[in-house]
Amino acid sequence: MLDPHKHNQNLALFLALKPFHPKKTTAMNRIFLKFFVLVAGTSLSIHPIGQLQAQTDPSFFQTNIAPILASKCLECHSGTNIKGGLDLSSQASALKGGKNGPAIDPAQPGASLFWQRVSDDEMPPGKPLEPAEKQMLASWVKTGLRWPAGTMDRFQFTTAKRAGFDWWAFRPIATRVSEKIKSKPSNSNRIDDFIDLKLQESGMSANPVSAPHDLIRRLYYDLTGLPPSPEQVSRFESDPSDQKYNQIVDQLLGSPRHGERWARHWLDVVRYGESLGFERNEPNFKIWPYRDWVIQSLNSDMPYDRFVKMQIAGDLIEPGLTGTAAAGFMVAGVHNSVVGGSERMRLLARQDELEENAGVLGQTFLGLTVQCARCHDHKFDPITSREYFSIISAMDGVRHGEKAFENPQVSLKVKALEFQIQTGNSRLAEIETAARRQLQSKSAIPSESSDLPKPLAMWKFDSGVEDSSGDLHGELQGSARIESGALVLDGKSGYFRTKRLTKTLDSKTLEAWVQADDLNQRGGGVISLETNDGQAFDSIVFAELEPRKWMAGSEGFSRTKSFQGLEEQDAASRAVHIAITYDSSGNVACYRDGLPYGIAFKTSPSRFPPNNLQILIGLRHSPAGANKHFKGRILRAAIYDRVLSPSEIMKSAAREQGFLSESDYARLLTPDQLVLRDQLRRQLEMDQKTRLADANQASEKIYAIVPNPKPGAMKVHLRGDVTEFGPVVAPSGLKSVGAGEQWGLNEESTDQERRLQLSTWLASPSNPLTSRVIANRLWHYHFGTGLVETPNDFGFNAGLPSHPELLDFLALELQNHQNRLKPIHRMIVTSRAYKRSSKRSATSFAKDAQNRMVWRHSPSRLEGETLRDSMLAISGEIQMKMGGPGFIDVEIIDKKNGTTYFEPIDPPGPDFQRRTIYRFSPRGGRSTLLDNFDCPDPATTSPRRSVTTTPLQALSLLHGEFSVRMAHSLANRAMTESWNNKTDAIRRCWALTLQRSPDAQEMQDSLALEGSNGLWAVCLGLFNSNEFTVIP
Amino acid sequence: MDPLNRREWLTHWGMQGLAATALLDLWKTDGLARELTDPARGHQTSLIPKAKRAIHISLVGGMSHLDSFDYKPELVARHGQNLVTNEKPDIFFGQVGQFRRPDWKFARRGQSGLYVSDLFPHIARQADLLTVVKSMVTESANHTPALFFANSGFQFNGFPSLGSWLSFGLGNESDELPTFVVLPDNRGGPNGGAANWSAGFLPAENQGVGFQGSAEPVKDLFSPDPQGRLADSNVRDFLEKINRRHAASHADEPILQARMRSYAIAGKMQLSVPEVGNIQGESEETKELYGLNDPHCSEFGRRCLLARRLSERGVRYIQLFSGGPIAGSPRTSWDAHESVMENHSSEALKIDKPIAALLHDCQRRGLLDDTVILFTTEFGRTPFAQSEASRVGTGRDHNRYGFSVWMAGAGLKPGTSYGNTDEIGWKAAEKPATWHDFHATVLRLFGIDHEKLTYYHNGIQRRLTNVHGTVMKEILA
Repeated sequence: MLDPHKHNQNLALFLALKPFHPKKTTAMNRIFLKFFVLVAGTSLSIHPIGQLQAQTDPSFFQTNIAPILASKCLECHSGTNIKGGLDLSSQASALKGGKNGPAIDPAQPGASLFWQRVSDDEMPPGKPLEPAEKQMLASWVKTGLRWPAGTMDRFQFTTAKRAGFDWWAFRPIATRVSEKIKSKPSNSNRIDDFIDLKLQESGMSANPVSAPHDLIRRLYYDLTGLPPSPEQVSRFESDPSDQKYNQIVDQLLGSPRHGERWARHWLDVVRYGESLGFERNEPNFKIWPYRDWVIQSLNSDMPYDRFVKMQIAGDLIEPGLTGTAAAGFMVAGVHNSVVGGSERMRLLARQDELEENAGVLGQTFLGLTVQCARCHDHKFDPITSREYFSIISAMDGVRHGEKAFENPQVSLKVKALEFQIQTGNSRLAEIETAARRQLQSKSAIPSESSDLPKPLAMWKFDSGVEDSSGDLHGELQGSARIESGALVLDGKSGYFRTKRLTKTLDSKTLEAWVQADDLNQRGGGVISLETNDGQAFDSIVFAELEPRKWMAGSEGFSRTKSFQGLEEQDAASRAVHIAITYDSSGNVACYRDGLPYGIAFKTSPSRFPPNNLQILIGLRHSPAGANKHFKGRILRAAIYDRVLSPSEIMKSAAREQGFLSESDYARLLTPDQLVLRDQLRRQLEMDQKTRLADANQASEKIYAIVPNPKPGAMKVHLRGDVTEFGPVVAPSGLKSVGAGEQWGLNEESTDQERRLQLSTWLASPSNPLTSRVIANRLWHYHFGTGLVETPNDFGFNAGLPSHPELLDFLALELQNHQNRLKPIHRMIVTSRAYKRSSKRSATSFAKDAQNRMVWRHSPSRLEGETLRDSMLAISGEIQMKMGGPGFIDVEIIDKKNGTTYFEPIDPPGPDFQRRTIYRFSPRGGRSTLLDNFDCPDPATTSPRRSVTTTPLQALSLLHGEFSVRMAHSLANRAMTESWNNKTDAIRRCWALTLQRSPDAQEMQDSLALEGSNGLWAVCLGLFNSNEFTVIP
Repeated sequence: MDPLNRREWLTHWGMQGLAATALLDLWKTDGLARELTDPARGHQTSLIPKAKRAIHISLVGGMSHLDSFDYKPELVARHGQNLVTNEKPDIFFGQVGQFRRPDWKFARRGQSGLYVSDLFPHIARQADLLTVVKSMVTESANHTPALFFANSGFQFNGFPSLGSWLSFGLGNESDELPTFVVLPDNRGGPNGGAANWSAGFLPAENQGVGFQGSAEPVKDLFSPDPQGRLADSNVRDFLEKINRRHAASHADEPILQARMRSYAIAGKMQLSVPEVGNIQGESEETKELYGLNDPHCSEFGRRCLLARRLSERGVRYIQLFSGGPIAGSPRTSWDAHESVMENHSSEALKIDKPIAALLHDCQRRGLLDDTVILFTTEFGRTPFAQSEASRVGTGRDHNRYGFSVWMAGAGLKPGTSYGNTDEIGWKAAEKPATWHDFHATVLRLFGIDHEKLTYYHNGIQRRLTNVHGTVMKEILA
């Protein structure tokens, strides 16, 4: 996050320390001089062995001196912001010295200022060195400050305050196990060797293996997120052999349910959400292909390195739908679609988005909180701010957008239909023009060729989308269509957009003949001139700020004022002519039906860059959506590159008087023509509908990376500030993870080069973090706590691994199995450590309440999704349909006020009874049951869910409509399956819910409740029971 | 474990998994958690807690400090003049019109002589209870980020709000009501919706619970149908029996104990929630005082009265929103772009009398001794009108550089003000106060050192105050 406040203070402090006053400096120098003379006389007490070593051993500096310098001196005396101007990271810079002169003097080492300050405990300030450290330095000084060439990195060594390159997580994965493990009598499963050894060392005894009933339930829930059937449990209970167990493991790992279960874990980490967040929080209905890709990849056991690469650069590695869906990871986070007016806010929003993305990327794959280095070097881990900007430079080509993928067969069909529609349209136009001609001959309407002003472009929509005046042709977008000489707009998705226009348009006139479907609509744009990103526009807008009034719309209303015209009364029953003129000094005037509309006003003139302009008809500005669409018909529209005079506007307004009403046609056409016209129109309407439906399938649009192919240079943003820049950095990874600036990229490099390098670096076998992090995640989800208890953070501030050797062993196993996860799952769930009973032993609990030593299997409360899925499965209501758009159990309320609200609803029916992973999951899209059971909001990454127990949780499981409905379904199911025998039905309810029979007392209690309130009440009780909700 | 270690353990309990959670729940009900998580007892440098509960009135949309609590004679003098500056103000629409004098008359009020304008005639009569901070600043002039910032110290969603932090740090005083209750405006949720009272990365139990204005203020309090209501107590008896038998064979498993207790508490809530919502028992005088008979303010009045009743019953943090969604026409919040006079008159009419009643009522009942009432807004409004530079328009744009908020009650110096804006009321000039300072001060009232209330998330120990925050010691009693 941005901490400019603090940094400014630091900067101020730093500046204040700089001696600006020459007098003071002299005084300080005098003090130093005195001090120097004083200490130079004292003899150095030197350890003889150290001295000898210092003279002879070339690695002496590396082993003994560098760690002291790096951990005690370089924090202040290297990098940027160097204290006292003294850089101690190399011999050269130390010789050069700081504001008090050279720090070392090879000729008189003992008299070096460096040594004086250290030996007198003045440095490091407030925290003098340990005697042993001082002695070591003394021997180094005495023997002449032998200092190998090159520059030391202050991150080279871990200090008491932060991690260096030697931090455990950066070290290569150990390929050999220690003697202690080797000497242990080997278990059938190596995992148990590591776990047993630790237990032994801490004098703890482990629980025995669970009862078969508990074990098999645990396994089903863990691997598939669903309960076993009573029959599956009893089969295992009758043969609880290892062989049988292993068979079930294989079967469950091969089940499609496995991918659905474990994808949920992954989606928590990557904060997968289906709305854009921030204030608008628009729903995102097209990101689900990423969710499906994760499920499929886990089911097919895609090698993890490929799984990683595809999420960074799938669209480049495997162009097409699948690869693009995979890279949905990069756009699954929040995206600020409202950016305030100022440049600063725009830049800030972009940097915030990059930080969020880099933060999730770093934590997900590397277990490093790289985002912490946005404003300053990381406080705890060896990540410089420069490196942070290198990483975001590698991601800077990622832009949010939509991509369409063609289905060739359907698109052929669409093309044919489009041809048919075009033909139909021209036949229709023929008939209607005939009628118009008749009318023209009857009235005195000026024809097209008379002295009308010449537009820059005009679209008549008689039968097509061409510019009748020049070559500024356009295309229909969304559901827009041409019918009866008009552009027909549905107010939802339809609009018309021209190709790019390159022209300076400091003065202009926009005009349109327009008929509205209803006059209560708000905010639709009739005709707009805009920059192609929609950031700047001028538009004829209907009823945006004031109901039923015409307005000159502009970005953020920056050039908009009310014309104070009258409310529109006619435009629903007939076409009206609206024109707005803009002159180069900012005068804006509006005309309706050729007459001035309200009062003209003066504002700042619009100055659009002369390239990349376009005209929109039916949409206020890009991008499409929200309340920007006009609903109605545009009969004709035009733009002029000058201000038309009132009389020209009057003439122009009369142009389309030839527009005819239905009664006109009835009057003017022959009966045959009328029949034909009706047929044509009906056919066209049908064709349009089919085309639209087909076109939706012909190109499946998904929310995806729409890259900026040449992202350009990325500069370090000093203190994270978007207006203060440091040097340009090349796209690259982290030095601590073997990358440095080895990528050979620069500011000219393409998005493709950058992301491919980034993905290769993350997935490289020489990157020890990636394998360790995923191995730990698997352990975390199987046991409830990872070997490292902070799965997203392997840095200094995080937890240390409880079993470092085991973690490396698992990471190595993963690599040895082509990075496939299923073999690791298998190894874990077949270990004795996993199979242990969850019984709470008072002595072990007292020693290790958190169970880090894995003396038992920790009991786990069902997660919200598992709870919901299990109730659906047990009641027999679950729909196992996989993939596709999610079911929507929220009411999406867009009050057109800039925020989207998601209100939880609980609709019954099969469409909503799919597994919870297929739930449409907008940010802030709350669901009472899921919320209360700790399902995280996808606003941020959730590497580890919290588990709470609250009365609200009890209420939603006891009284929520879903629970009650499921209880009734289960009761019905049990009655049917038991031929309406009550005792059998009760037994069946217990069996389905808890996979066991009730004992006599339980049966008696159940019968009593059934008698008073019905079987469903028993079912509700079972769903709420501890035995159901807490897995041993 | 010695108490300090236990305390530390609890502060990081989110990391400890199920066992710890269950333990905490158990301790909580014993009163132990309260003791352990109460920094006043846990820390050697003991901070004396003054407040136990807070009622937070949150004005959505940006109230004009210049028309309410920040009297600027110079602004009156400069009415119609232009702002002279080289700077491009970071406001929302970007139009810098001429200076506009306040639309209401200011007067010194009560013994303290605090300035309050006629916009709030009723609150003005309670001025001696207020501690006004006149030098607030914030970082965003955009509604949603500004509101997030005021609530959570961050401009983005995903961070816990003040109410959640207090809930996390101090636990619940009542085992029959939620710790953190939200009473949204009946015109709809504020911008950002429920994200404003989210627990963020804190455990879910710390999230604000929205009370609905219906007969069933808490969702799922009762079974959805009559059949279910009839069965309710039988189902819970049955559940109790099977859970007890199950627990007997799983000795001392904390999660099982905790779940059983949660059902017992849920049962109590079924009685206590309708009881707290039933204001019929309040005296006629009280109802009149809160404006329940006045159609202009009865809606907010009812919420203020409910807030008092919740607070009396130990709810730690109650947040009331004045204002619904941003934008729309006519406006449903304090976002007076078009006309301050029109907008603020209608908004103030809704809340002035009820808030004054809440202050008065809490004082006479002695509640102000351990309850703090907070009155905040997203940002202030500009001293210059939102119009073209040649005109004094009737509206004002967003002003993040200076605005006013107030607090009242436990641990505060009443009838005082803190800091000041410049002579025209544009920017904080004396003792600028950030939201981090504000939050640090509120936590301090509760006896919490804002640097010590932390939770590990995304690589760092997160705080409500990020890495900032200075307690405004001068306003503490």
